[in-house]
Amino acid sequence: MTVAVAGPPEAAPVPRPSTFVLKQVMAITGVIFVGYVFVHMIGNLKVFFGADSFNSYAHWLREIGYPLIPHRGVLWALRVVLVVSVVAHVWSALVLWVRGRRARGAHRRRRMPRLMASGARLMLPSGLLILVFVGVHLLDLTIGALVAPETFRSGDAYQNLVASFSRLWMAVFYSATMVFIAAHITHGWWTMLQDLGATGRRFRMVWITIGVMIALTILLGNALIPVLVQLGVIA
Amino acid sequence: MRIELEVWRQDGPQDRGRFEQYVVVDATPEMSLLELLDRLNDQLVEQGIEPVQFESDCREGVCGACGVTVDDRPHGPVPKTPSCRQHLRAFGDVSRLRIEPLRSAAFPVIRDLVVDRTALDRVIWAGGFVDVETGTAPDADDVLITHDDAEQALDFAACIGCGACVAACPNGAAHLFAGAKLAHLALLPHGRLERGRRARALGQVLDDEFGPCSSYGECVEVCPAGIPLAAVAAMHRERLRGLFRGKAD
Repeated sequence: MTVAVAGPPEAAPVPRPSTFVLKQVMAITGVIFVGYVFVHMIGNLKVFFGADSFNSYAHWLREIGYPLIPHRGVLWALRVVLVVSVVAHVWSALVLWVRGRRARGAHRRRRMPRLMASGARLMLPSGLLILVFVGVHLLDLTIGALVAPETFRSGDAYQNLVASFSRLWMAVFYSATMVFIAAHITHGWWTMLQDLGATGRRFRMVWITIGVMIALTILLGNALIPVLVQLGVIA
Repeated sequence: MRIELEVWRQDGPQDRGRFEQYVVVDATPEMSLLELLDRLNDQLVEQGIEPVQFESDCREGVCGACGVTVDDRPHGPVPKTPSCRQHLRAFGDVSRLRIEPLRSAAFPVIRDLVVDRTALDRVIWAGGFVDVETGTAPDADDVLITHDDAEQALDFAACIGCGACVAACPNGAAHLFAGAKLAHLALLPHGRLERGRRARALGQVLDDEFGPCSSYGECVEVCPAGIPLAAVAAMHRERLRGLFRGKAD
């Protein structure tokens, strides 16, 4: 069958920003998030050294660089960077998702049983869950409203944490979300490799291994805290 | 061997299309998918029914002309194998097959199982070539290249352009295809002279006509040429390089 071969198409309306740019935005903001979550987890480990250690750490976060940098200067700088990154990351993700659905066409195909594909499929739902989690987490332990424990007192981070995780549903929610965060990081870290263009075989193996280790460390380091509060080890 | 077939029939690009049921009673294990369709078409012609249209050429896995979706898998159930090399003996105890065209928004159906894969050609037009001065062939050892580079370039050059990667992709992306081309030409001395320009031009068509890559990895499951996922990384590497460098090479 002969097919009329069309020449290069006339300038059609081209989606902007390009898919390439959006993927780069996701990769770079993704690096910021992984870095932040990892450092946050290390800070959380202070809880194992007791109330004083944890509270002085929480206090230090507001004082970093003082008097060179004003009180809470670093904290607010981090918050601004994170909020901008979240908006850019989520917006890019949604635009790309819509483009992907459109490019797939009207016919759906049955899924292939592949671990990596499951990871990819989980990205949007787990991402939305993480967004909800961030909201709950801020209300619970930073702002102290709505879902916060009744005894919430600004400045006593350790007591707030113990009070919050003493509620079973909250402990379960935190620990379960960590599983999804770990899954999100594993696939995201892997995809970063693709988006930033690392092709060397050895580098890719090392990178993927590091990603899995980071995800597992974050999962263990964070999810353990609500579990230990429930068991009464942290009180 | 009796095989019940559910085959996609579509009279033209504007037709909605539907599945039709057929039965081939005398299929044999050594038949390939395409030979099964040939047998079906013999039957249909005898009955005075319009035969099922499908594409094929070499039937030995090198041309990239064939490609149908079998039971939701582009090319068929055997991994990394083109439709023409998929034999019934490898399908296990099978008595039913659903055959439809390669599915993607970039591949409109022309008729039955034949799709228009011109979108892939547009990627190649944009930069999947090397401008060379024709004339007397240079000496073979004129420009030296390492054995490893040659082997790697050949591995990426193995792409036959069948489009199964696009059909397999839940996002309708052609990154594996485009990445194989960019990686292949970037490794060779003549291709390297246009490396940046090629990456920018080719990348643009890729963005405009296909979906984004989310690392599902389903493309490599069906790729008859065994192109690795690193091709996708190579695509991004070439584009980033072309963008920051801003030069022709």
